[in-house]
Amino acid sequence: MRKLLKSLTLLTLILAAIHPNVRAEALPPAQVAETIRSSLFAAQMSLQSNDPNAEIELDHAEAAYRGSFQSMIAAVNPAADERIHEGFARMRAALAKTSPRKFAAARAQVWTAILNGGYSIVELSIHNNDVATAQDWLGVREFRTATRFSRPNADATLALQRLAAQSITTDDALQFLRADLFDTYQARLYEALRDLESADQNGFTIRRAELAALAAGYFDILAPAYAEQRGAQALDEVHRLFSDLQTATISEATIQPALDSVYAALENFRAAPLNPSEQSRRAGQLLRYLNLVPVEYERGVSNGQVTKQLEIQEAVTFHEAAQAAFDDLRDLLDAQNPQNTDQAAQLFETLGVQLADASTDTRVSAPEEVRETTTRLIALLETTMPDEWKKGSTAGDFDVIESMLDQMMTAVRNGEYDLAESARLEAYAVLESGPEARLSVLAPQSKIVIEDLFWNGQGENKGLAFLIQQHAHLSEIKASRTALEAELKNVEEILSVQSAPLAIVGNAGIIVFREGLEAVVILASLMGSMKAAESRKYRRPMWWGTGLALLATIITWLLARGILVSLARYGEKLEAVVSLIAIAVLLLITNWFFHKTYWTGWIASFQSKKKRLLAGEAGLILGLVSLGFTSVYREGLETVLFLQALVLESGTGLVLAGVAIGFLATVLVGIVTFKVQTRLPYMDMLIITGILIGGVLLVMVGKTIHVLQVVGWMPTTPITGMDMPYWVGMWFGTYPTWQGLLLQLAAAGFVIGSYYLAENMKMRRRANSVPTSLAQEGKATGQ
Amino acid sequence: MVHKTNLFFIVTLVLVWLVGACAPVATPTPAAQETSLADLGAIKTYLLGKITNLKISSTDLKSVSDAYYKLAQAADFDYAALWANHPAEVASALLDAKTAWMVASPLYEQIEGIVAGVPGLSEYDIILDASASGEDDPENAVPFDLTLPDGRVLSKPGNLFGVLETALWGTDPDYLIAAVEADLDADGALEFGEVLPDANVLKGAADLMDEYVSKLETSAQAWAPTESDAFTALVVMVPTMSEYFESWKNSRFVAGEASTQRDFVAISRLSDIQDILSSLQVVYAGVKPLIINLDPDKAAQIESDLDGLKAYVEGVYRQEQGGKQFTAEEADLLGAEAQNRATAIAGQISQAAAALNIAIEE
Repeated sequence: MRKLLKSLTLLTLILAAIHPNVRAEALPPAQVAETIRSSLFAAQMSLQSNDPNAEIELDHAEAAYRGSFQSMIAAVNPAADERIHEGFARMRAALAKTSPRKFAAARAQVWTAILNGGYSIVELSIHNNDVATAQDWLGVREFRTATRFSRPNADATLALQRLAAQSITTDDALQFLRADLFDTYQARLYEALRDLESADQNGFTIRRAELAALAAGYFDILAPAYAEQRGAQALDEVHRLFSDLQTATISEATIQPALDSVYAALENFRAAPLNPSEQSRRAGQLLRYLNLVPVEYERGVSNGQVTKQLEIQEAVTFHEAAQAAFDDLRDLLDAQNPQNTDQAAQLFETLGVQLADASTDTRVSAPEEVRETTTRLIALLETTMPDEWKKGSTAGDFDVIESMLDQMMTAVRNGEYDLAESARLEAYAVLESGPEARLSVLAPQSKIVIEDLFWNGQGENKGLAFLIQQHAHLSEIKASRTALEAELKNVEEILSVQSAPLAIVGNAGIIVFREGLEAVVILASLMGSMKAAESRKYRRPMWWGTGLALLATIITWLLARGILVSLARYGEKLEAVVSLIAIAVLLLITNWFFHKTYWTGWIASFQSKKKRLLAGEAGLILGLVSLGFTSVYREGLETVLFLQALVLESGTGLVLAGVAIGFLATVLVGIVTFKVQTRLPYMDMLIITGILIGGVLLVMVGKTIHVLQVVGWMPTTPITGMDMPYWVGMWFGTYPTWQGLLLQLAAAGFVIGSYYLAENMKMRRRANSVPTSLAQEGKATGQ
Repeated sequence: MVHKTNLFFIVTLVLVWLVGACAPVATPTPAAQETSLADLGAIKTYLLGKITNLKISSTDLKSVSDAYYKLAQAADFDYAALWANHPAEVASALLDAKTAWMVASPLYEQIEGIVAGVPGLSEYDIILDASASGEDDPENAVPFDLTLPDGRVLSKPGNLFGVLETALWGTDPDYLIAAVEADLDADGALEFGEVLPDANVLKGAADLMDEYVSKLETSAQAWAPTESDAFTALVVMVPTMSEYFESWKNSRFVAGEASTQRDFVAISRLSDIQDILSSLQVVYAGVKPLIINLDPDKAAQIESDLDGLKAYVEGVYRQEQGGKQFTAEEADLLGAEAQNRATAIAGQISQAAAALNIAIEE
């Protein structure tokens, strides 16, 4: 350790000595590296065309290497510098012998040694907290080969930016650097090996020599990681294999045996360590995929028989995906608790055997057995995982959603629309039980778009549920999936920012307040209106209903963690049903409100009609209990689903604090409504109550229509050219569809109609009983 | 007094509701909304200018294809009789059609870097120039069927420039009147590309292309370029060099008569690459001020590498035009070099975008 520190100090001194000059005089290192690379390529092309410029280009490259660029590499990674010098010497020899093959191999050697040197300088600079030098030299790197569909990542660049801002530690920055660059060079290594096979098949001898040297050079960069994982002896062996491969390519011998040996030696080798956010992401995937295994298995097995082979295949796929995540995390889990990790590996194997047996119909385990194995495995992993992994990773959730959507596409391609629908629902369930809570707070406008694309949207790209139900053409489904994916990517980015504790409390509070507002306004308005002694007794059944709903909400909360995925699968439909019941009850109550409280309170003699009223008393009480229950539970159910995601991310404590604040705010609004109403004169109170209930009915109708349209139980006809801000839908239930708006208008018509009908009946009644009613009127109003 | 209380109560409730409604507007403000240093207007101006010219060419192509169709129709689609009786008119119409195609194609390539790279416009690239036929690649085929004037429907026939090229130069036997030998330039020799195309295919494809160019024009006019669009176009399009070099390697320009590739027979793919890179240079010029503000060295390096890549392709193209016949291995090596340079450029642009917090669309 002391030796290492001594060396580091020495190198730091060298760097400090060179550094100011380097930065003041020389070109940026990336530009020097590119000059060397392009000059060497030009030299090779000239050599192949017998052009005398080859030597000039080689001189140019060597001259560019000399100076401060070379001094830095030689100081930090002398072995790389040595390989570069050796490479230049070999190129000169190849030029003299006019051997393009040897020249190409030496060119690759020089280039990869420069990359190696550049990497070492960045690593050391980070160690020394010299961010400026690290940033200068990070440009001397390659990227994963980009395509139209994949983008180079910027993890190392961003890590240096954060290190400069002191928002991450040196160790974290090093981890990000290694993860990014090792991943890149391992990808380039495999790419070089694949291209080598192709060049070999095409008889491209110069390319063969170049690609074998490139592969060996990339491996040199990864060699320390290989030695760390497999030991020095194994590393020596791989070096020997690469050397054999290079010899074979230079000598025009067959390369396949050497290539096979290289592939075998690299099997299961993963150079790039997982950075902390990738660890959480993989852990999230591991648990999500495992949770899905018994769900799929149960669907595929009935009465000891495999009834749906495809569901079993899905369970196998999820198991494999979980196994891959486990393999990536195994070393880290091992460091936490080797005993548990071994046991988890055994359970993985048991689960694999259970699934494989069912898949081949050798032995069909009962679904309970598979669930038990999975539950034990998950419990073991959760005990072993560090706390930060268990907070849940939004990125992991999005990965799982993407893989479910991949499965959906595969099913559509095979014409298996039932299976596609199942995969779609699973994907939605992961969204609903995972990121949706934060989504509804941080990106509510996207939530509506995503819901439409997942379900029955009728926009430019139709909803996936609708298309699958219609057995739409693959290209249509693909277009909607692409649009959905783009939107998911967008929100993933928004949600990738870790929420501050205060934000979590705030989010939870807003969710509870928003969901609770409607319920509280209905209850407080109605109860406030029952201030007359004879109608006070009707408050009690509403309280019963409210209490039952709160109890049901708490039970749902307690159960939700265990059954989250399966519950979320039906979340929207459940909400639709409960909402419909709530509306039906509210309509009855509104009708009752205008025709009974209003009218009996004002005109009719309660005592004289007691007998008639009592006949309908039981139904009325049941209605009031139902109103209390449905008003609160429909919001409670949604709240529980939303809050679970926040619990997974930040723990129960913070979320409960938010719930308490939101609940308090809602209760305060309720009390204010209640108190103010009781102070109002009876007539004004009734009018206000009527307006409030009418308003709530409108919102409830609008939202329910939207949910019905989302789940496809009601057709959707968008109003062309009408665009509304997302919050109009979220808070007032108004969405730009004909069905939604017309039914809200109908609800308004119902409320106003009820009022006028009651007014009309009151007038007629007054006209019929003028002599006796005047005295009662005075009594009832308290005037 | 009573009315005042009512009013106070209603206003309070409405306020509570509205305050709640406003509460969740916590969506982060995108960087793009801030005042930008980028000159995105220049990108749009360039695009619209090129599309205007493209529209003129596509209308020309439509018009001469229509002339050929009318000649064939008058001959009751008896092509032997058509060629025997009207060789001059037929040759004139077909040579004009080829010329119009040769003008239109580079014009499109000069905007392809933008059209294909901007998510809101990329569908036109699939239709006009990029996607394969349903037969060659069912997964990524064009999203349209081509209805011909005689009522036949060509199911997902491939991109329209490709259909027209294979019809005009006779590299797709399905679009060719093989029974008639037509020496269009009347030099006494039957050279590559001297064929009579199926007039229905030619007219159907030319009409549809003109229609899509009009739609592209409308969409481009409505397009409000963002920093994200510009960076996405660069990162998506720059690294496609290997695709282009691969099609060049397999084309008649490298493989000669042994080539089985049906398209890229009229214009070398190397010319297309230069045109695409020209449009990307325009895009880069638009966003360069942002990168200069971040890191002037990086901005200069990207610009120099982009210019270097274009110069490199120009150099290879010059050699090809000078008569050099590249071997397959040389073409492979040249393609790998282009891809390496392009990957390095795309990588640097991605790093800059990340550092500037500008999203690259998937």
